[in-house]
Amino acid sequence: MGTAQDETRRPASRLADYWPSGLAVPAFMISWSILVLLPIVIIVAFSFLQMKSYRVVYEPTLATWTNIIVSERWFTVVRTLRIALTITAIELLLAFPFALWMAKRCRSKSLKAMIVTLLTIPFFLDMSSRIIVWRSILDVNGGINSLLLNLGLIDAPIQWLLYSEFAVHFGMIGSYFPAMVFPIFTSLVLIDDEYIHASGDLGGNPLQTLRYIILPLAMPGIVAGIIFTLVPLMAAFVEPRMLGGGFVNLLGDSINSALQELKYPTAAALSTIVIVALGVLMVVLVKLIGRREGNTSLFQVVQR
Amino acid sequence: MNKSSQDGLMLEISHAVHRYGTFTALNDVSLVARAGEFLTILGESGSGKTTLLRLISGLEHPYAVEALKLDGVDVTRTPAHQRNCTTVFQHYALFPHMSVVENVEYGLKVRGVAPAERRSRALSALEIVRLANKHDRRIHQLSGGERQRVALARAFVPQPAILLLDEPLGALDEKLRIEMQIELMEIHRQLGMTFVYITHSQEEALTMSDRVILMTKGRIAQVGAPADLFDRPESRFVADFMGMENLLEGRLVEHGGEHVTVALDDTTVRGRLSRQGSAAVGSKVIVGMRAERISMGAEPPPDATLNSVRGTLRSSIYRGKYLDREIETTAGVLKARIWSSSSEFEGSGYAWWRPEDCVVMPA
Repeated sequence: MGTAQDETRRPASRLADYWPSGLAVPAFMISWSILVLLPIVIIVAFSFLQMKSYRVVYEPTLATWTNIIVSERWFTVVRTLRIALTITAIELLLAFPFALWMAKRCRSKSLKAMIVTLLTIPFFLDMSSRIIVWRSILDVNGGINSLLLNLGLIDAPIQWLLYSEFAVHFGMIGSYFPAMVFPIFTSLVLIDDEYIHASGDLGGNPLQTLRYIILPLAMPGIVAGIIFTLVPLMAAFVEPRMLGGGFVNLLGDSINSALQELKYPTAAALSTIVIVALGVLMVVLVKLIGRREGNTSLFQVVQR
Repeated sequence: MNKSSQDGLMLEISHAVHRYGTFTALNDVSLVARAGEFLTILGESGSGKTTLLRLISGLEHPYAVEALKLDGVDVTRTPAHQRNCTTVFQHYALFPHMSVVENVEYGLKVRGVAPAERRSRALSALEIVRLANKHDRRIHQLSGGERQRVALARAFVPQPAILLLDEPLGALDEKLRIEMQIELMEIHRQLGMTFVYITHSQEEALTMSDRVILMTKGRIAQVGAPADLFDRPESRFVADFMGMENLLEGRLVEHGGEHVTVALDDTTVRGRLSRQGSAAVGSKVIVGMRAERISMGAEPPPDATLNSVRGTLRSSIYRGKYLDREIETTAGVLKARIWSSSSEFEGSGYAWWRPEDCVVMPA
């Protein structure tokens, strides 16, 4: 809030005089609670209610939850977690070296600008229309199978290319790559090259420099990348629907269909599971990194 | 002890050339640093001193070099992290995510020294720079001078063959800079390590060094003890850089034993050649005198062996402890720094100086 006080001294920003930091924090907390936390509380509460003939019955019950455990929806939770974590791990392994190259090795400014532009394309094209293109490529009669058949590399078309877990994974990797790359790239760009030189100068080989200097300093970006990738992955429904073809049922999809069938308590319960799962994952993430790097590196502000 | 102990050379560079595109940053530079020496590479920005440092530390690979040896080992093709030298960076480059002691022990950590040993060695290094009580601080909690000392401790803990210091005092204020100069000399004496110190400040170079290499435009202008550069500059550039205020052009007319005679316009002066045999009779030379060695008065000096010229007073500036005066002579303007007010005069008068205080160098 130091900057807010500094600004009050500047005559240009008169508004700041009427907006003291003593008000800003409570205002933020209250609006955040109303806009974000309250709906979550309502969702959780809703999962303990029931719908009877399209009407909500305000009478607490565990019926929805027992139903989820008894029915096969339980497997959906596990599958969603598994796929979300796998994709997050793959994205991290792909994005970190790429971001490192872009931040520290890529000398050409125009090439860098071009890559950044290319990476933003997924944000301005509708997800469904992007994903559906893969169908024609991965299909039994699609591009890849035709190519492999024509080359004589296979005798019969590969069945698992589309409407399979492979296809869902494949589609997700493309969609969520920018979400992982950007935060990591930003945090790497901020690392002063002098630190990297100093590490080498003191005898650190490139791997040690990566382990002891670059990774800890990039940790806020890595954590942000994991969150930005993992959170939407837990709710993903476009890829499983379009590329899974009903064979790969994920939570996002289940919630969607529950809503369409007006099973609001079920949708609420499934959403609660997503929220709890994400909460647990975040705690585990923070603990893991905190133990390895010390808590300061997670949310540190680099001061020179 | 080491491979080079017989000749005592810790650093040896012969005929280094470095180019950035078409710009020649280093033009055939050769130098050595002896074991335990405090060697200063002095020069303005763009003189090539930083390029030289980058070649030694391995941040940059020379365009061409005959030999680049650290402690007797040729390291021309060795990457930076395998070279036995460390750097105190200009802006310290202390790792912001580590505590003071973690920074200091980093060089030992990457060399695989056991945690307990490296901690104790780091703490004793912090003892030397008088920061042992702040070992668990974060870097941003330290003052500029303290950061400087942490950077120094971090660099000498792995006991490198040479310690490179890249303008380490540049970011400090003047008072702290003078304190740190004394401290650096003390630490150098205590460690007995070879220091290669890069600076643009002639004051730092004169105060701390055993030997100074003055560079200009990618070449070495002069090498010598601080007093050599200060009192016996071998070229106009060196004389000017070392703050010699009065530089006049003349022609050498006579070699005579200890002193040479130089014709300045309509008068002759006697002085000493900064390097024997550097100028022949009849060649153009530069005559240099420091302002504080020039005296002035209304009457000519009584001693006929002194150099003396006649002129008119141009300006006189009162500076408290001394007077800065300029006298216009037929040979050119002479600047004098007068410490006693007894020699005041107006209008025309004389300026004189001893032949010993008059340096003659090739033009």
